[in-house]
Amino acid sequence: MTTTTSYLHSVHHADTFSIASSPALSLSSSVTAYSEDAIMNEDDENNSLAYPRTPPTSEQVFTTVHAEFGHCTNEAYRCISKHDYTRPVQEHIIEEPPYYILLATYMSYVILYFFGYGRDFFGILFTSHFTHLLPHNGYAPLKSSFDSFYSRRLRLRILDCVSQPVTGVPGRSIIVLDRSFTDNDHALIHTGGKTRSLNISSYNYLGFAQARGGCADAVEESIRRYGISTCGTRLEGGSSELHVTAEALVARFLGMEDALISSMGFATNSTFIPALVRKGSLVISDELNHNSIRLGVRHSGAEVRMFMHNDMSSLESLLREVISQGQPKTHRPWKTILLIVEGLYSMEGTLVNLPRIVELKQKYKFYLYVDEAHSIGALGPHGRGVTDYFNIHPRSIDLLMGTFTKSFGAAGGYIAGSKTIIDALRLRGHSGPYAEAMTPPVLAQIVASMASIMGVAPTSQQTNSRLSISRDNSSVVLKENAVGFPATAPASMLPTWMNLPPALADGSEARMRISRLAFNSRYLHAGLKKLGFITYGHPFSPIVPLLLFNPGKMCTFVRLMRAWSPPIVVVIASYPATSSMTSRARFCTSAAHTKEDIDTVLRACDEVGGIMDLKHGSGERWGIDEVCERAVELVHSHFS
Amino acid sequence: MENSASAALEPLLSFLTFSLSTLESGFYKLPGSAVVARYVKSSHQNDPGRTILELILIIFAIRTLLQSRTRADRSGKHFIKFSEKEIDELVDEWAPEPLVQPLTEWEQKDLSSVPVIAGPNGPKPKLFSTGKTVTNLASFNFAGLAGNEQVKDRAVDTLRKYGLGSCGPPGFYGTIDVHIDFERDIAEFLGTEAAILYSQGFSTISSVIPAFCKRGDIIVADRSVNFAIQKGIQISRSTVRWYDHNDLKSLEDTLISVEKERKKRKGLLTRRFIITEGIFERDGEMVDLPKLIELKLKYKYRIILDESISFGTMGRTGRGLTELYNVPASQIDMLVGSVANGLCSAGGFCAGSAIVVDHQRINGTSFVFSASMPALLATSGSEAITYLRNNPSVLLTLQDNIRAVRAVLEKTEGITLLGHRASPIIHFCLRTQQQSLSVTTATYDHEAEERILQDIVDDVIANGVLITRAKHLRGQEMIESRPTIRIAVTAALTKKEVEKAAGVVKTSVTRILSKRR
Repeated sequence: MTTTTSYLHSVHHADTFSIASSPALSLSSSVTAYSEDAIMNEDDENNSLAYPRTPPTSEQVFTTVHAEFGHCTNEAYRCISKHDYTRPVQEHIIEEPPYYILLATYMSYVILYFFGYGRDFFGILFTSHFTHLLPHNGYAPLKSSFDSFYSRRLRLRILDCVSQPVTGVPGRSIIVLDRSFTDNDHALIHTGGKTRSLNISSYNYLGFAQARGGCADAVEESIRRYGISTCGTRLEGGSSELHVTAEALVARFLGMEDALISSMGFATNSTFIPALVRKGSLVISDELNHNSIRLGVRHSGAEVRMFMHNDMSSLESLLREVISQGQPKTHRPWKTILLIVEGLYSMEGTLVNLPRIVELKQKYKFYLYVDEAHSIGALGPHGRGVTDYFNIHPRSIDLLMGTFTKSFGAAGGYIAGSKTIIDALRLRGHSGPYAEAMTPPVLAQIVASMASIMGVAPTSQQTNSRLSISRDNSSVVLKENAVGFPATAPASMLPTWMNLPPALADGSEARMRISRLAFNSRYLHAGLKKLGFITYGHPFSPIVPLLLFNPGKMCTFVRLMRAWSPPIVVVIASYPATSSMTSRARFCTSAAHTKEDIDTVLRACDEVGGIMDLKHGSGERWGIDEVCERAVELVHSHFS
Repeated sequence: MENSASAALEPLLSFLTFSLSTLESGFYKLPGSAVVARYVKSSHQNDPGRTILELILIIFAIRTLLQSRTRADRSGKHFIKFSEKEIDELVDEWAPEPLVQPLTEWEQKDLSSVPVIAGPNGPKPKLFSTGKTVTNLASFNFAGLAGNEQVKDRAVDTLRKYGLGSCGPPGFYGTIDVHIDFERDIAEFLGTEAAILYSQGFSTISSVIPAFCKRGDIIVADRSVNFAIQKGIQISRSTVRWYDHNDLKSLEDTLISVEKERKKRKGLLTRRFIITEGIFERDGEMVDLPKLIELKLKYKYRIILDESISFGTMGRTGRGLTELYNVPASQIDMLVGSVANGLCSAGGFCAGSAIVVDHQRINGTSFVFSASMPALLATSGSEAITYLRNNPSVLLTLQDNIRAVRAVLEKTEGITLLGHRASPIIHFCLRTQQQSLSVTTATYDHEAEERILQDIVDDVIANGVLITRAKHLRGQEMIESRPTIRIAVTAALTKKEVEKAAGVVKTSVTRILSKRR
């Protein structure tokens, strides 16, 4: 209780201080009002999530709510996400666990299947629970017992660890709705209780999932001005000026000639890829590409070949084969070859080897489509994604696709490329004539968050200046501080009613967010490695998978992490998202996390991992206290 | 001499012995290796020929395994072997076509004529290009929910509690309590056991169909279903039979023939589905639901009904065709609707039994793999349902307005009005010399008609009424439909206003068509 009072007191201080000194900071007053609300309404005891451990001093003014976006003033806890060209691009190394772990995993599945099929066999004979899986009344069953085996016999056992409903902002912390088993452990009911937990699971990379702050204010204003919907498809009367604004801004943000926006991230792939490839085209796809890409390719009817995940030699030999062989049977040359890769793979945390792919592209003349669903905003010194991270000119890539769900705290997706291609997609993609347009509140969130990452240029430049950047395929590596990229957002490109607070408008807050995310990601990766865990992925990736292997360990891990103080919610993934042998827990770091939050996660993992026999990684090991103390050193060292 | 040779061989020999012994010790470290070794030893002792036979079997098995992996590409009969140099030459020679064909002159015009709205959309929006305010007969604002202040207030409240984005798919902490509440609201509104929310209307049905229809299942579908359904059917890999557009006699014939075929082949009982739309997006026809249900029950099919247009517009309070025909919604196995069209928010839903809905939570691809809907869009949808429940009069106004528009357009020379008389979307196409009402036969010049219709649209917009051609992806649709202009009627305008707007359309049609003659 003392913390609460002192915190309130200091917030009040900070508030009066800021108003007295700079009246322009109108935001802080609204934040204080909310902070008081939050304190009054907070009905659980996990106050370490709602308030910082050390109350802010009167000089510190925070424009965010600690539970949404953690307060962190220590400038040492920052890092720049940038590729070091003095070192080769890391290959994806898969660390193998000891054999007994693999054997135990196999045995687990054997036992699960044995009992599952056994119960099915006797259940069908003796009970009435299976009527919906058997033909009845002349109808074939809606789902066969074989197809639904996974969900009935495997997923049901860990039902309390998946699809957890939540409430509130998916920021640094999240409120979980408590559930308990009923009906002989076949169903879950809500108990009505709520638990505020540390959220290391949401795709909230830059921490823009906020109910307060400049972006949320812009969204509120857009609702008041534009309403909820634009009432139609883009080509049939549902286009708003906000769409035009947002598309121009996205193009400028990415350094591409033009861009289009779609109201759903998944549908961006599944409805626009069919307009890019046709009969006689070949799609080369990474084997771990997202379901939406596969669906888009299937819709298109084009041929598809896959190469091993991120394996450049496998890609090159495939390219040599398909170009020399031509189309199957006829041996005619392919009309076009489109290579589709992801920037950052959502289950592995691996980063595409873009420098090598761009080299291959020049030799083999394929078109390149990079899905930056997870990497946009989260990687690169300016948050411009993998191209920014590798310092490769975005226009050396034909199509950059990404989503707004993750780093921008919004929804939907974009595709950027040359004006010819984008115009063709606008007209020939499925979304244009058939799918609803993106809604104004979502557009406002995109424009506000993106403009704050770019920084708003005070002098108004010409709106069409982006068109003057000539397209140049040959220049792969940008010169330092090349003119025009990464571009700022001219004030004239933003809606006139949108007034971003100074910290957002000058880009300083976004720079802080980007460097905090890079620090947190590297710290969590390095920390888990030093503690002895097997992890996958690139050190800068905000996605950090921790390998559990054994299916039974998934639910135990979730339950133990949830029982930690403060509770931590984690995502577990297994078949069908990954191979069934490599079940894993997946962390997603965020700029909203403080260093203490990552400490908490590491401490929890250390203890839980010790109990569960998860530490099978190779390399030097440190104790947990040493990891937490030497965090900065760890982040800046080059570890493999 | 001999000495030096043996001296040179010595390290090699010792290496061999060493590696053999490590191999052996390594082998014995493996769990269960002792059993294998004992088995091999004893079997060799009993019958040395058998060891050779088993060895050959193992080699054969390994060879087959390796072969099957590469057979598809490298050693297939169409594979041509090239040397590395030849491949390099072929790679240098290969010149790809452009990724997309640039837009034709007509497509350019089509794209540039797309209207952009400045400020809020609603019954009287302002156009971005001219700055003029127009009467809106193009946007889907059937019940007049666009700009509703109650909905806006609810959305702002939600924003301040939940932020905007959900930052995750439903499985990964993206299921927010407002989604659960909205799903329950939809289910209660329609009277089904449960409902599931998708984050885009278009992607809903193309994900629902493949979640249930698998290879070997039978789909009987209307020939004129919308594009989303076509895509869903394409992905499902089921056996598809098409029946004539909105012709339930043709449907029954198809059902009978499917049953006959099955009996003849003595095939297994597979899942069978009828897929159709409530009100067809393509032409505004309406399905005879009671008759459809009668057929479904008689022939034991399941129905997937797309109510994207009819939900939120038809029936006393907008529950759709089930309310209009007074049929319990539980009779429809999968009832798919759009939150974007009928409720002026975003997304889509599928309502049905708890089994149907739960199955989609694991198998609906665009549910599982996509981020869930922003919270404020879900609460806006809930608020819209409350509005429809409390204001049944808006849909009466809508029907009045539909009648008014149709009355004016029916009197217009040179066009044919399509669709059901109660449909909130009204399509019309140019009247051909033969006075044919069929929209499927290609006895017309597609692009020429599109140009005339676009001229009409431009002229109508210039005179202060916003309408649009119904846009289709030519060449990607299963059947080429006749170009039409689509009018979307709204309850937010008064009868006088829509009559006046329809009058503008009538004048323009007459003017443009007389110019052409």
